[in-house]
Amino acid sequence: MNEMSKNENLDIQIYNFAYLDENTKRMIRRALLKALCIPGYQVPFSSREMPMPYGWGTGGIQVTSACLIPKDILKVIDQGADDTTNAVSIRKFFQKTANVAVTEKTSDASLIQTRHRIPETKLKEKQILVYQVPIPEPLRFLEPRETETRKMHALSEYGLMYVKLYEDIAKHGHIETAYAYPIKTNGNYVTDPSPIPKFDNPKMNNSPAIQLFGAGREQRIYAIPPYTNVKSLDFEDYPFEAMKANFKCSICGSSDSYLDEIIVSDDGKRSYICSDTDYCKEQTKLNSKKED
Amino acid sequence: MKQNFLFQASNISKYYGQNIGCKNVSLDINPGEVLGIVGESGSGKSTLLNCIYGNLEVDEGDIFLNDKSKTILNFTKISEPKLRLIQRSDLAFVHQNPRDGLRMNISAGGNIGERLMAIGHRNYGEIREIAANWLEKVEIDVNRIDDKPSTFSGGMQQRLQIARNLVTRPRLIFMDEPTGGLDVSVQAKILDLLRNLVRELGIAAVIVTHDLAVVRLLADRIIVMQNGNVIEAGLCDQVLDDPQHKYSQLLVSSVLQV
Repeated sequence: MNEMSKNENLDIQIYNFAYLDENTKRMIRRALLKALCIPGYQVPFSSREMPMPYGWGTGGIQVTSACLIPKDILKVIDQGADDTTNAVSIRKFFQKTANVAVTEKTSDASLIQTRHRIPETKLKEKQILVYQVPIPEPLRFLEPRETETRKMHALSEYGLMYVKLYEDIAKHGHIETAYAYPIKTNGNYVTDPSPIPKFDNPKMNNSPAIQLFGAGREQRIYAIPPYTNVKSLDFEDYPFEAMKANFKCSICGSSDSYLDEIIVSDDGKRSYICSDTDYCKEQTKLNSKKED
Repeated sequence: MKQNFLFQASNISKYYGQNIGCKNVSLDINPGEVLGIVGESGSGKSTLLNCIYGNLEVDEGDIFLNDKSKTILNFTKISEPKLRLIQRSDLAFVHQNPRDGLRMNISAGGNIGERLMAIGHRNYGEIREIAANWLEKVEIDVNRIDDKPSTFSGGMQQRLQIARNLVTRPRLIFMDEPTGGLDVSVQAKILDLLRNLVRELGIAAVIVTHDLAVVRLLADRIIVMQNGNVIEAGLCDQVLDDPQHKYSQLLVSSVLQV
């Protein structure tokens, strides 16, 4: 036991607090400040190699690293769950390198790093939500030239974004885009909300928490400051709809949280459970209290 | 300066390093008028067209547009956002190769709708209806509205490109060899269509071509270019029937007669 803690102390000494060196963190903080000043604008930053592959959330980790302070309480989720590989490894990474307290409770956390979900529990002021972003450019698959998309953002030429939604309706009869649904931040920049389900889009609007987005491979940071207007793009006759599977969670019985579909038997029987594990636990607790 | 002109370019010059793109070219276009620019390959036709459309920065000269609200804008002075807005609303550009002017992986309806959405249309039903109308106007089966241009023939693609450009009712349309690369019967059909649309909507047009038959059919006036210079200008029939410059004479006499 003694041996172990000694080793852990050693690890902490080898790495600077939260892994990145102070100058790098300063550089990222500058990018973050700029991003907060211009909501939805993609700020380039010099992304570092991290001790894990691209696609594991290197952008989010760098942002978290730059924001962490020793008294922070960290929560890491992957698709809403606290106990999936990605979440567990990132949480362990910061426990090891920053020695910060961790939690699974959304309401207790001061900094939440997330992949592909926004927690169901309403976020509060002084909480920071860090998103891991694979592709920060919402226009990427519509206009491959980065020089051109930058110009389009600068001049607010977003007709093309609507072409994508038009194509959706023409093909499927409704807006099929279900995740990474484009948003307009503060009435200005069209922004990629990262691949969260569009069910979560309304939670971004006027949120009291700070929302930070980090894309490691793409070397971009953007942000939505607290209480910022966030509008999901739509047509007058095809308004935006936040949707989810129309079932109840088979664990906690909640019908208003976002559900994961799980195939539970070889003959294809399905079950639906909350994707937000913390919320599911809370609801189960509440239910058993009611029964008592 | 005349007050009722639509578009005016004065003393445009464009150099590519030591080489001349076009030199000292002046032209003006009245509302509803079709101007043809002819000349051999490399004579500066396309350079001139791109300059006056605002795609290429000119080295000398001024370009004026009398916009919808009767304000005279100088292309060489206005800001880029303003220029791009004008290009989307008042002007249009038809490329020789429809692949340059269309989005090949987006349906025909989406292609026509893009310009509408770019100027602020946000009603799907409306956009679709307008797109369907335009398909009809350019003689493409309305059932093909959700098909991608890559499934269209060359002629259909070109007609789709024309529809996509005309949908926002520009007042001046620039065309770079609109019928190049198409077979003769399809060419005739597109020319016919263009002539009707231009006359019907009262759109002015600048057509760059090396095909004298095209200008004979469409243009009111033409300018003949050689080595970046305008060597002859005048009414279309006048220049083609009685060319004065040696090169114009050569050009007219080298048209194959069937």
